[in-house]
Amino acid sequence: MIDVIQNIIIYTILWGSIYLLISIGFSLICGVLRIFHLGYGITFVIAAYGMWFFLSDMQMGLIPSIILMLLLQMFIAVFVFYKGVFQRYLDEEENLLVISILLFLAASHFSNWLYPVTAGVTIPTTLVPGMLKIGAVNVSYQMIAAAVVGIVVTALFVLMFLKTRTGLIIRAMSQDLNAARLMGASVDNMYYLAMIMAVIPPSICVLMIAPFWGIDPQMGEPLLITALLIAILGGLGNLKGNIMASYLIAFIHFSTSFLLAPRFMGFAALFVTLIFLIVKRGGIVAGETIW
Amino acid sequence: MNKARLFFTVVTIMLCIALGISPASAQKGKPIKIGFMGDLSAPFSLSAQAAAKLAVSEMNAAGGILGRPVELITEDTKGEIPKGIEIYKKLVMHNNVDAVVLAEKVEMSVAGMQIGAELFREFPHIMFSTLGSGDAIWHHVRDDYERFKFGFQTYYFVSSHYLEIMGGQIIPDFFKNYVGVTKVALIYEDMDWTKPLRQGLPGVSPSLREVYESKGLEVVYEKTISLDQKVFSTLFEDVAKEGACMMDCVVGYIDQPAFIKQWAQSSARDIPWFFWGGLAGMPMAWNMTEGMIAGGSIGSSFVRVAITEKTIPFMDNMVEKYKTGPIFGSHTTYDTLYGYKKALEQADDTKDINNIIKSLENVRETAVLGKIGWDSRYHYNIPYPDYVTPIVQWQDGKMVPVYPSDVAQGTFQQPADLRK
Repeated sequence: MIDVIQNIIIYTILWGSIYLLISIGFSLICGVLRIFHLGYGITFVIAAYGMWFFLSDMQMGLIPSIILMLLLQMFIAVFVFYKGVFQRYLDEEENLLVISILLFLAASHFSNWLYPVTAGVTIPTTLVPGMLKIGAVNVSYQMIAAAVVGIVVTALFVLMFLKTRTGLIIRAMSQDLNAARLMGASVDNMYYLAMIMAVIPPSICVLMIAPFWGIDPQMGEPLLITALLIAILGGLGNLKGNIMASYLIAFIHFSTSFLLAPRFMGFAALFVTLIFLIVKRGGIVAGETIW
Repeated sequence: MNKARLFFTVVTIMLCIALGISPASAQKGKPIKIGFMGDLSAPFSLSAQAAAKLAVSEMNAAGGILGRPVELITEDTKGEIPKGIEIYKKLVMHNNVDAVVLAEKVEMSVAGMQIGAELFREFPHIMFSTLGSGDAIWHHVRDDYERFKFGFQTYYFVSSHYLEIMGGQIIPDFFKNYVGVTKVALIYEDMDWTKPLRQGLPGVSPSLREVYESKGLEVVYEKTISLDQKVFSTLFEDVAKEGACMMDCVVGYIDQPAFIKQWAQSSARDIPWFFWGGLAGMPMAWNMTEGMIAGGSIGSSFVRVAITEKTIPFMDNMVEKYKTGPIFGSHTTYDTLYGYKKALEQADDTKDINNIIKSLENVRETAVLGKIGWDSRYHYNIPYPDYVTPIVQWQDGKMVPVYPSDVAQGTFQQPADLRK
């Protein structure tokens, strides 16, 4: 039993930190733009296939490919989603949701057409090969590295929100948009910034998890669902809640997996979230603010 | 002969000559039509389509079947069953095909079989399922032969069949004696085709666990995983804890790259696995997993082994003429068409459907993967040792056939040794 507890604790910490990378961008858009961004899954697909395009088709090195992939992500976030969809359909929520998800699905299908499974897409981003034994548990260094990066990126986001003027403006906007605007906040610029910032964690996430994750054109769907679940459980758009929910979902996933069966992980997390929302409406940190 | 009759006879003969009509040429010139149905956006159906085209072009170059040309009519189901049913009807009723080849998931073949049974009396034809692995096709024939006798199934292994092969050859011979396994972990994917293996089929076959235990191997772990599962690390921790010597993974559709990558970075990394099928048996699996697949074994027909004199030319022609590698469904489609050709020639008949069915039930023809032929009662293709799928192990970037011995090109090695 001690082995099982050790496993649950270690996997909860590791995967909870990875879940931060998966979900924090989604929460940021929820918190700042007040948009339920169903097209968010596209960032994972572009991270993988955009990277492969530059790396394999354009024959660029790893670092230039990562930089170009990030620029592509930012371009799509700002010009396709923000200017093309969000600005245009801000008052028509149903259209905004439908178009966002259609764009995401179209990107997945396009990737599948461009790079079917026989293309053998892979992202060679193993930072540290090998395994570490922690008690009775063996974990890969890469998984630990992904978890550390998850914590660092989240910490940088939190510090930015708490310690910088830009962060202060974003927090003000998330509390009261009109008041922030009246105080001279450049709302549009902050929206652009939020859209750009939101693509960074999922892009890093794909790079970090690729050595132990399957790369396929549909990979965005389960990752989007994980992000959604965490954001909803944490309290839409609240980063504090997002952090707590990441570890809580990881705990549910891995306690179910080790104590019951791995195939019930997803169901258990959905069930607990549903019960939680019935008991505590609005999630762990229910509020209209980002922090 | 009076003048009028002479004139009429001459005109008739000239007309016949002009139109190229003669009793003999009317029979010879009419093509044997084969309808091909597949999801033509999926790599496996595309590969099967290329295999069908290759077989038909070879047959026509060699004089057709019984002197008649062969015509292939290809249709795209887009993987949608309602569309597939309409296409099946069109092929049988409008195109009047002699046979329909369904190179798609087993559910599509079952739907085809149902609609085919409705049409069979008025439009006699043969149906071949060349990609579905489940037991549903032959169960139809077993349960109602008269109604479904036109249906034949070709696949590398039909689910319940494989138990006989596992029990008869692979477990006692390969796993136990060759690999040296004493304890095994069984991992199934949650799909219809694995159900007979998880639970057994009453009166037909035992479960896989029972087969293992009957051969003196201990099953220390048994779990079913879902298709959408992405995290497998926890499973590997449990398998390692239970002391399994080998993981028999009854999977074909799970996220195999994720499974393999996480296995290679887990406590179970020195425990070899055997996959029943899927992506891990395709050449790009090495790159997709950055070589982490080393040590894994799988039943694969994509490896370049001359099982018969047809194997290597088939693989080369597929790439050369159709720019597609032979992936699953292509060997079976190609072999099926040659089995059909042989059956028609053996029957010396292309019309009497009962005669053709009887001939198919008794035919044996040299195939890409051994010998093609179908069971006379249940209409699944005769399995190993007639129809061979080599077990390969990934070693140094290559799939090396390690079993059976007559096609082996290397020996099984433990994953830990391969990583050194």
